[in-house]
Amino acid sequence: MSYKSVLMKQGESGEKTDSTQAMYNHGEADVSEVLINLVDFSAFYGTLEVLKNINLPIAKKKITVFMGPSGCGKSTLVRALNRMNDEVPGFRITGKVLLDGEDIYAPTVDPVLLKTRVGMVFQKPNPFPISIYDNVAFGPRIHKLAKNRGELDSIVTESLQKAALWDEVKDRLGKSAWGLSGGQQQRLCIARALAVRPEVILMDEPASALDPGSTSKVEELMVDLKENYTVVLVTHNMQQAARVGTSVAFLYKGDLVEFGPASDVFENPKSPLTEKYIRGSL
Amino acid sequence: MSDELPTRSSPSASISPWNSPKVIANHRARKRWDLVFKILSVACALAVLIPLGDLLYEFAYRGIQAISIVRLTHNLGATVPGLSNAIVGTGLLLALSSAIAIPLGVFGGVYMAEFAKGNRFSEGLRFAADVLAGVPSIVLGYVCYLVLVRYFNFGFSAMAAAIALAVIMFPYIFRTTEIAIRKVPENIKEGAIALGSTKTTMINRLVLRFAMPGILTGILLAVGISLSETAPLLFTANFANYNPSGLFHAPLAYLTGVIWTFYEVVSIPADQQLAYVATFLLIMIVVCLNVVARLGLRRFSKV
Repeated sequence: MSYKSVLMKQGESGEKTDSTQAMYNHGEADVSEVLINLVDFSAFYGTLEVLKNINLPIAKKKITVFMGPSGCGKSTLVRALNRMNDEVPGFRITGKVLLDGEDIYAPTVDPVLLKTRVGMVFQKPNPFPISIYDNVAFGPRIHKLAKNRGELDSIVTESLQKAALWDEVKDRLGKSAWGLSGGQQQRLCIARALAVRPEVILMDEPASALDPGSTSKVEELMVDLKENYTVVLVTHNMQQAARVGTSVAFLYKGDLVEFGPASDVFENPKSPLTEKYIRGSL
Repeated sequence: MSDELPTRSSPSASISPWNSPKVIANHRARKRWDLVFKILSVACALAVLIPLGDLLYEFAYRGIQAISIVRLTHNLGATVPGLSNAIVGTGLLLALSSAIAIPLGVFGGVYMAEFAKGNRFSEGLRFAADVLAGVPSIVLGYVCYLVLVRYFNFGFSAMAAAIALAVIMFPYIFRTTEIAIRKVPENIKEGAIALGSTKTTMINRLVLRFAMPGILTGILLAVGISLSETAPLLFTANFANYNPSGLFHAPLAYLTGVIWTFYEVVSIPADQQLAYVATFLLIMIVVCLNVVARLGLRRFSKV
């Protein structure tokens, strides 16, 4: 009821949520810092258009947050950034996703190799049913990143340290990863993603299955990761978006409604839809 | 039965379920049914287990009484007959048929679960496997006789018999592999893909490992079935008193054949004793295979 009336009002006043316009709201980001650029990006499941003409720059070594209610297309959007949707029957895209200026959907790009550059962490922690060590070593092993056991050891150690998990697991690396708590499992998944040395880390609601303590640990970790990685975070938790986000994109029903620095979006939203969502009444 | 909910519209609406006579009476009735069901299920379990235990005891008892070095080392054709060539035959058939059916079934199941896109071909394949599992083995045996023994001129032979057994084993391994792989959680597979695994790497390193208990169950089921088959072997291996000279044009003996041939021949007690030994050996082989597989699995799935 309420969101429909908001949409109607919008239509009447002619304030169309134009994504290209929203893009220019992004004031601070220097163009040279942009790592990923979505250009006229639309996505479809069969004939259903789930993302409509998105134009969005994602800044290097910052946290860009995709925020919006369930079903707004934010997960589809983040999964499109490392081509995780390729296997979904009926999925197709139009437009471009430029990573360092190169279209990742170009036929010359190998979707398997792309994933070493753009890593991903999922909503539900998904450690493999093998040891903690083997989980982290999985990526380096399949890509043959280490020449010998010593190198592999140091990749594993370094990745676990970066994921702030080392101190908790250093004495039980050979134990099953399934014995860890939910929060530890999620940080293990982050370590596992870091071990293949990506530039970008996509996080699809990484804390939504975790308790508050684990959530704040994962959030702290995200802020640390920003030093060296470009982070894209999907969340429907506004507080989280406000706490960690550098820029925030608000999506609604497949449209990019608003995009800008986190402080602008939360304190001075331009679209009434965004405002409603932030007030919790959408 | 009195399973209607207590009504609250009566004047005693203020009474809580805790001390409502109706609720209490209902609960007593449900507790009685609980007991009846428990007794029934235990009785059913016993009705199956007691005859099975009796059977196993009987064959173990008679088998152990009948077993001897001579009966294990002599040929059926020897003056004092033994089972050695039937043991060799059963072992040979088991090895050959497993070597054919296990790779085909496991790879086929992997294809169905991971690569088939739900098209006509894969649907047809699944349907064919289900039909194959339902065809009586004696019919498959006859078909193999016509095609392999006669048309391809294998003669009565280990190869023809092993292929017949493999045809019987295949659908079980194929379907259980597919089901076991489909049970591997999607988010585990996604995790591997997101790290830059190819599909093959993902299957080899994670999926098969995860699905191994299920796949092994299917293999054991199929091996057990192939061990106990007799009808298709009569058509393809025939029978022999000595070890086969090769894989083609050489009839061979097998333990189930011994049982089929000698159990009814009451007039020669010595031959009947061979049937008991053969039965005992077959049961022992199945038990050993299961134990070894379970132990192996436990070691394998330990992280």
